[in-house]
Amino acid sequence: MILLDAGPSDWVLFFGHFHPVLVHLPIGMLLIAVIMYFFASKKSVPYVFFWAFISAVFSCLMGWALSQSGEYDENTLFFHQWLGVAVAVLSGALAYMTAYWSQDAAMARLIKPFLFVSVALITLTGHFGGNLTHGSDYLTAYLPQPIRGWVGMEPRAEQGGANEPAIRKIANIEAALIYQDLVQPVLKQKCWSCHNAEKQKGKLRMDSPAFLMTGGEDGAIIKAGFPEESEIIKRLLLPDSDEHHMPPKGKPGFSEEEISILHWWLKEGADFKKKVKDASADAKIKTILKRYSSGESSGPYLSPVFKMSISEADESDVKDLQKLGLLVNPSAKDQPFLEVNAVNAYGLGDKELEALVNIQDQIVSLKLGKTKISDASMKQLATMPLLIFLALDHTKVSDKGLTSLEGLRYLESLNLYGTQVSDAGLASLAKIKSLKHLYVWQSKVTDAGLATFKKARPGVQVDNGFKGKWPLEIDTIRVEEKMK
Amino acid sequence: MEKIFKEAIEKEALLATRRHFLSSLGTGIGALAMGSFLGSCGTQSAVKTSSLKIPPHFGKAKSVIFLHMAGAPSQLELFDYKPVLAKFDGKECPKELIEGKKFAFIRGIPNLLGPKANFAQYGQAGHWISDHMPHLSTQADKITFLKGMYTDQFNHAPAQLLMHTGSARLGRPSMGSWVSYGLGSENENLPSFMVLASGGKNPDAGKSAWGSGFLPSIYQGVQCRSAGEPVLFIQNPAGVNTDIRKASIDAINAVNQETFQEFGDPETVARMGQYEMAYKMQSSVPEVMDISKEPAYIHELYGTKPGEEAFANNCLLARKMVEQGVRFVQLFDWGWDSHGTSKSGSVDWGLHQKCLETDRAISGLLIDLEQRGLLEETLIVWGGEFGRTPMQENREGKTQDYFGRDHHTDAFTMWLAGGGIKPGFSFGETDELGYATVNGKTSIYDLQATILHCLGIEHESFTFPFQGRNFRLTDVFGKVIQPILA
Repeated sequence: MILLDAGPSDWVLFFGHFHPVLVHLPIGMLLIAVIMYFFASKKSVPYVFFWAFISAVFSCLMGWALSQSGEYDENTLFFHQWLGVAVAVLSGALAYMTAYWSQDAAMARLIKPFLFVSVALITLTGHFGGNLTHGSDYLTAYLPQPIRGWVGMEPRAEQGGANEPAIRKIANIEAALIYQDLVQPVLKQKCWSCHNAEKQKGKLRMDSPAFLMTGGEDGAIIKAGFPEESEIIKRLLLPDSDEHHMPPKGKPGFSEEEISILHWWLKEGADFKKKVKDASADAKIKTILKRYSSGESSGPYLSPVFKMSISEADESDVKDLQKLGLLVNPSAKDQPFLEVNAVNAYGLGDKELEALVNIQDQIVSLKLGKTKISDASMKQLATMPLLIFLALDHTKVSDKGLTSLEGLRYLESLNLYGTQVSDAGLASLAKIKSLKHLYVWQSKVTDAGLATFKKARPGVQVDNGFKGKWPLEIDTIRVEEKMK
Repeated sequence: MEKIFKEAIEKEALLATRRHFLSSLGTGIGALAMGSFLGSCGTQSAVKTSSLKIPPHFGKAKSVIFLHMAGAPSQLELFDYKPVLAKFDGKECPKELIEGKKFAFIRGIPNLLGPKANFAQYGQAGHWISDHMPHLSTQADKITFLKGMYTDQFNHAPAQLLMHTGSARLGRPSMGSWVSYGLGSENENLPSFMVLASGGKNPDAGKSAWGSGFLPSIYQGVQCRSAGEPVLFIQNPAGVNTDIRKASIDAINAVNQETFQEFGDPETVARMGQYEMAYKMQSSVPEVMDISKEPAYIHELYGTKPGEEAFANNCLLARKMVEQGVRFVQLFDWGWDSHGTSKSGSVDWGLHQKCLETDRAISGLLIDLEQRGLLEETLIVWGGEFGRTPMQENREGKTQDYFGRDHHTDAFTMWLAGGGIKPGFSFGETDELGYATVNGKTSIYDLQATILHCLGIEHESFTFPFQGRNFRLTDVFGKVIQPILA
């Protein structure tokens, strides 16, 4: 009894872990034997079946060893195990049949049906095995529409990688259930793949409240009201290199926010029915909740432009521009988006700029500071639909030219430092909804014009140069006194 | 006749020693690997030094200014406010904190030393900043603090090497070299990696802190001086004019080209690139290094005096370089090693003097970059190579004449601002005494990974093959600090 309680020895599991590797041998050998029987010389077929039999026996033994971990769904395991045994027996039988019955016309007729049965069995065994390791929805998870509809599957939820936030936007955060709306989506994304109905690593299931409270082979994982003593939190907070850290190495981990929310739910009593408004939230939790209700992403910002798929610019066009002294480079490796910089070509004028027409659909960043361009070029800039970053500092551009830029839908940063731009120009820039940074230092913009703009577009950071008291008075003597 | 030919061939063969053979063999293979990494044309790629390469990801920062306070400033007098430490000022340090620990100078049981500065909260972010940095406190909302930094080196030189090269031992390329190698320079007339030192001394790690290690030597940092000739030995010698200089460089490079074709050593190509660059720098460097033409309000902003060797001048130069497309500017300021063995090395008076020299200039740099629209593309990094102890130093078991702190590896503070970094944020926390990091532990490798990430470089795949293995800046460590990214 003591032995049983101790669970399988390390040796058993060590060999067990070779099962997924070894198992491919009998599969391959069986199939090749069948193919050889039909399309090639029948002479070697018995040998292949014989080795398929040997490898199948070993696979079965190791499979049995692996099953001792008790981490797998019993129903599926039952079918997988006995089908596997059947495959092993059948391959042995086929080795015998192909060796001794081929000459006998009556008996040879039996071989073909057995071959078909063996292919069917190995397919089924393999499929159940796959379900055990990857989950039963693994195979069809990415089945495209409309086939999904035909076979009666639900459309796949729009979802990015596992690193994407599990929770996107919750309209009425106060009425949301803490577990169901905030905790469960994260568990589902990051825990369920190993702790579900079919696979129970550490004999733990996490896919329903009841299982969550039951815990796994090391006991309960949740101690309601005491997050610090709950195994689930402890495991998340272990260093990444620790073998007990969850999720394990190579799998996407929890973000700090996700841990905070889980911690909060546990502290609030791990109540599956508790609503956000009934729990007391500190400042940190409040910020996270606010973010969930507004739906803004917590990750780094990236312009929507970079998610578009656009065509690549012609390499010869890029080379022509480089001859003008312009730096033309992709924003990132293997991306079609181009950044153009005139830091080595201050002599560039309106006429030379026309050459950009060939790559206008790809330009996302254009730095033309200190060049000789003027308002005449602004119409051309307006035809660059994906422009995000534009530097026109120290150029002859004026209010008149800026009216052309109103249509730039993705422009986020505009540098007009050291230009003749005035308040009238700001008024037309206020129409660019995507604008985030605007630089108008040493231009003709007045404080009043700036105030009007800021009122119209409070979200835009406008920099008009530093105007504060400078330098500050520093009390050096006082420090000397403190010395004593 | 035949004999002569034979002899010639033999002589030629003797010239190619085993070393030549091995080096051409090794670099040939290395260059092939590098060529495939860069997706360009093998060894020849080293020639086009200033051509811009491509970041693997969308990077928000285009350049970096690394402000290294050599000697390691005290986080406890500047940014890591510990009121509890003040309460225990003068009390013996709890034994369990120092048991089994090694310090550079502390022996036996030291006393705790309360913060020797007054703190207040600044900006929307509510950053705690001491009165040593009054100007910087006006810029609090631009800054993100990393308060949970730690290192494993408690001596200056190895700790500085670790910070800049990812290894406490000599021989690895510095961060600036890696970045120049990966991204190249925007400006074809200036080196992509420039170094400025102030405080009267180079950092303890010496030139290895900006060396190129096993990367082609064209990527090493070029040190400029803010007083006197900016770069030594690039001016024409007396009696040589520009034309003669150009002609002689062309002649030398023609010979080098032949040597390269014979032996295939990429260092020859690097040397040719350096001659070319030195020639271009004759005109471009004096221009970028001349701050006398800057308007008075700019000098007022930084607190600069042209012609002086000062940190403030270096800050202004850093801005000018970044404006001109220099990729990585490294500033070292010596004199932050406040052990308390002298007045200038005390954490109150001495540290304050260092802050007086730098506070206005750093704040001016942030303001100036911002008003020129450069801050969103320039990553500023401030910090030392390690931190300082919450205990007062007791060198040789004696109390020092002045308040000082020993080198400390378990916790220190650095800050970042600008390109790709969340403004007005703080990451990491130390315990109540400021002794160790309790959350948001950030290693030197994490910081390096984050700096590369901001530039669009994935630190794990950015490697260079050398002596049979792929090396990277962060060795086998490092994790990008996601929460501080904008």
